[in-house]
Amino acid sequence: MKLEVTGLTKCYGKTQALKELSLQIESARIVALIGPSGGGKSTLLRVLGGLETPDKGSIAVNAHALPRTPRELQAYRRRNGFLFQQFNLFPHLTALKNITLPLEKVHGYSAGRAIKIAEETLARFGLGDHQYKLPAQLSGGQQQRAAIARAVAHQPELLFLDEPTSALDPEMTAEVLELIQELALAGQDIIFSTHEMGFAKEVANQIGFVADGKIEELASATDLFSDTASPTCRRFLSKVMRY
Amino acid sequence: MTARQKIANAMVAVALAAAAVWLFTAVFQALGRQTDWNKAWEYRETLWRGWQTTVGISLAALIGSLIFGALFLLGQRSPLPVVRWSCRAFLEFVRDTPLLVHLLFGYFVIFAPLMSRSLSAYGLNDKLVISILLLSVFEGAYLGEILRGGLESIPKTQWESARAVGFSPFQIYRYVIIPQTLRRVLPAMAGLFVSLIKDSSLLNVIGVTEYFYNTKNFISRSYAGLEGYIPLAVGYLLLTLPLAWLSHRLERHFRHET
Repeated sequence: MKLEVTGLTKCYGKTQALKELSLQIESARIVALIGPSGGGKSTLLRVLGGLETPDKGSIAVNAHALPRTPRELQAYRRRNGFLFQQFNLFPHLTALKNITLPLEKVHGYSAGRAIKIAEETLARFGLGDHQYKLPAQLSGGQQQRAAIARAVAHQPELLFLDEPTSALDPEMTAEVLELIQELALAGQDIIFSTHEMGFAKEVANQIGFVADGKIEELASATDLFSDTASPTCRRFLSKVMRY
Repeated sequence: MTARQKIANAMVAVALAAAAVWLFTAVFQALGRQTDWNKAWEYRETLWRGWQTTVGISLAALIGSLIFGALFLLGQRSPLPVVRWSCRAFLEFVRDTPLLVHLLFGYFVIFAPLMSRSLSAYGLNDKLVISILLLSVFEGAYLGEILRGGLESIPKTQWESARAVGFSPFQIYRYVIIPQTLRRVLPAMAGLFVSLIKDSSLLNVIGVTEYFYNTKNFISRSYAGLEGYIPLAVGYLLLTLPLAWLSHRLERHFRHET
């Protein structure tokens, strides 16, 4: 993917979540965003994913300017996939129905084809036995995996993951991270934010350190951890990597 | 339950049963000799017609209250502040004044002078139409609040997820928000419809010949006692118990999903 962001500003009321943020990535398949909570990772992802419109600035994803009108943004969201920390699934629908409903209603697949794809995707993610369960009957890790299945069932151009494991215990975190890694190896373009430093280092091509509404540092995974330029980033890493 | 609680439970059960038996025997001893079920049998047709009217009004007002409830809900979510505030003010007024006042004022002061003649010209029973309208507005006000509460209780993440999946605003309501809202409000709605049926008995004050009105007439004409009041209670229970049962069932059914 190619990302060009210049002068991006986004405010919620009086708080400035993003302050003139700029970011240039020529080509990377997997991009990770790390940084302190409240630093702007989520907001940046939400803007890139077409869930929020920026107050100022220009954004181009794969050489196309990000649309501004609600209708075009909806079309943009349909091409991509987005995953939140938790509560992604619709609680009144089974895991299978959670996947088939968007396939049918958003992407216009026939019922039969939607079911086939949903079954295949769930089976691939190890949820074949759980397709008729409601989200409340699944563990947190299973819910998150089913939600990822929904986000990739229509083969999105880009997959956005906003702290996909922050609400999970270590064991479930591992099962979800494994799945994301598998998607990455299979060639899916992914932008994700995370607090799992080891995972970011292993999977991402480029890592952006986001703090105080700006990209403080952007580097390849190895460079960012071994040869940290920004002092804020160094302080952050030394704190989170201590234990 | 611990052993002590079991003993206490059994003792309270016995005491309550004894109190109930005592009350019933006392009432029947006082009134039993005067109770003549033939009287009720003689008036069966009037009572039956009244009961049918109650069922008809309740059904019509149920549908009417759904329409008004939906309107009040939309009004309160309108992007125009003046619509929102008028709606709020009207709902507050309706919910904070007695239904009896609505019926008397609504019928004698507002609607009868305005509509009675034209309704009769169309061959409609003006009392029935107006009472259905008044009852629909009153219950619709409560329903609007139930629906609003239900809708607002759907977590923000559901709207977000639906948007992220690529649903259009209409599809978000159609496939995600409304199904979940209905699951949450159905038990309360069934409860409200129980109230609606009971409230329809107040229509006797404007002279609608529904079940309560006809039974009251029968009682005062024939000096009936138990043989009037027992069928009255049973007549309403026949309508409300199934609804109450449904309400509890729905509540239990949907509890498992969250």
